[in-house]
Amino acid sequence: MSEPNTTLQSPAREVPLFSMSRVWTLAISTLTQLVRMKTFYFLFAFAVLLLAVGNFNFASSPAQALSTVKKVSFGAMDLFAWLFAIVATALLIPRDIEDRTLYTILSKPVRRIEYLLGKLFGVLIVIAISLSVMFVVCAGMIQWKEMGYIADEIGDSTSEQITEDTRQAILLIQKNGFHPELAIATLASFMKAAVVASVTILLSTFASSSLFTIIVSVLVFLVGHAHTMATNFWLAETDNSIVTQMLLKLFKIVIPNFQIFSFSEGIVQGATVVPAAIWQMGGLTGAYLIVFMLLSLLTFVDKEF
Amino acid sequence: MSEPAVEVKNLTKIFSPDLSKNHVIAVDNLSFEVAAGEVYGLIGPNGSGKSTTMKVVLGLMAASKGSAKVFGLDSGDIRARNEIGFLPENPYFYKHLSGEETLKFYGKLCGIKGSELKDRIAELLKLVDLEGAAKRRLGGYSKGMLQRIGLAQTLIQNPRLVILDEPTAGVDPVGSRQIRDLILKLKEDGYTVFLCSHLLEQVQEVCDRVGIIFRGRMRREGTLDELIQIESQTAMTLENASPELIGKIHELIASDAAAKVIEEGHPRTTLERLFIQIADQNKKEESA
Repeated sequence: MSEPNTTLQSPAREVPLFSMSRVWTLAISTLTQLVRMKTFYFLFAFAVLLLAVGNFNFASSPAQALSTVKKVSFGAMDLFAWLFAIVATALLIPRDIEDRTLYTILSKPVRRIEYLLGKLFGVLIVIAISLSVMFVVCAGMIQWKEMGYIADEIGDSTSEQITEDTRQAILLIQKNGFHPELAIATLASFMKAAVVASVTILLSTFASSSLFTIIVSVLVFLVGHAHTMATNFWLAETDNSIVTQMLLKLFKIVIPNFQIFSFSEGIVQGATVVPAAIWQMGGLTGAYLIVFMLLSLLTFVDKEF
Repeated sequence: MSEPAVEVKNLTKIFSPDLSKNHVIAVDNLSFEVAAGEVYGLIGPNGSGKSTTMKVVLGLMAASKGSAKVFGLDSGDIRARNEIGFLPENPYFYKHLSGEETLKFYGKLCGIKGSELKDRIAELLKLVDLEGAAKRRLGGYSKGMLQRIGLAQTLIQNPRLVILDEPTAGVDPVGSRQIRDLILKLKEDGYTVFLCSHLLEQVQEVCDRVGIIFRGRMRREGTLDELIQIESQTAMTLENASPELIGKIHELIASDAAAKVIEEGHPRTTLERLFIQIADQNKKEESA
């Protein structure tokens, strides 16, 4: 048997308390994984849906047609974002455990919070890229249709001067057409997806199956949309005791209030954006992300594999 | 004397699968040390506590009682993981990554960057003989190739301790021999190797010291010579011995009332060696 030449004498290297570089490495790996799983193929489905909606003549007026295109396309974007956040996140961690890839990752100098953040950021990068692409496609489609409708209105006008009726019709088309605030609606969809993804990560740190994680995440998402209604109902049905108040507070923390993102529906329908609502949405999204990632870490830090 | 690479003291690991009183003692008051630079094999049947012990050393599990240290650092200390390279049994790395990307991923996790990482990847791909498959995705790798890229992954940050869990499980004899040769190369290069296996022949070939674990307890431990030699018997292999000489030896043995011949015959090669010999011969014939 061969004898060792010399034993390796490197001293223990210091490991930083937190490394953004490791989080980034894990996020990029997650992004690559999702891209190579061909998740971006759904963008073709989205483009087909958009073309179908855009060319289907189901509305009585150009303004209504534009409004419908916006509602359907932004609704589809929102649906994609939260659904993808749940499904992708629910699959990633259990798969790493099942395939024992997690063993090799955690046996490197990687902190568990870095692993969780890496997975979350990877999913969020995919959602951000997808939403950006969909937004650009949507914006292009709406503007193209808007310009077409305006040209039609001008063309239909018999006199050389634009009549007041035509001017009003153009204004109505423009009101229902593209406006930059739609980017805020897309941002709201992204933030909602980020919160859903963090809830799903928390669930997948202790759930025994991906199916359970997906079902519970969807339930949390649905209940979160009836947050105010559920709270009011609870207060009306029960006495306003300290226990009730405590349970309500717990409910408010555990179940995120997804109604804070619903103002985006108003934006799509042409409502004015209130800056305070954006700040509130951003602040609450950040708070939810911190709370859910800390809770995830609490359940994951001592988890044995 | 230098610090031991692995120091396990009175380690006990108890599982409570259903939160009831039905505890399962996976490891029971286990103590052993792996000296720096040696190849140590922990052997035992399935369910004997080998993998659990390994996971505690890796910091993937916490000890119920006792302790595990790596180069003096508590196994739960993240700095200890800079000293360890780990290859799990039947590893499944990300199939969507190529061999080169896999090493890059693990290298970056260890904080290695730029040209240092590039050079290290090239060096390791050469070591495990996967230069030709570097750009191929792991989904297309054979089991032996996966084990070899796994071994390269364990070495990416140049750890002092390499932990291998059943390193040749499911690998054919040729692949198995390649991995065995790599383990011997690691020893030559000064790495400490701690391996778990139930393939005794392989352990015998590569290990300096062996611990035999059964139901979570250490039953025997020592150097290979100490463990496998039968003190009361002596073996002698002769070459070109004439029948006359054999006859004389028999006469001598017969003259001693206490001594007797237990076994006699021609030494045999192992099936593994024969298989490898034929495979090598085929390779040579094909390349000729």
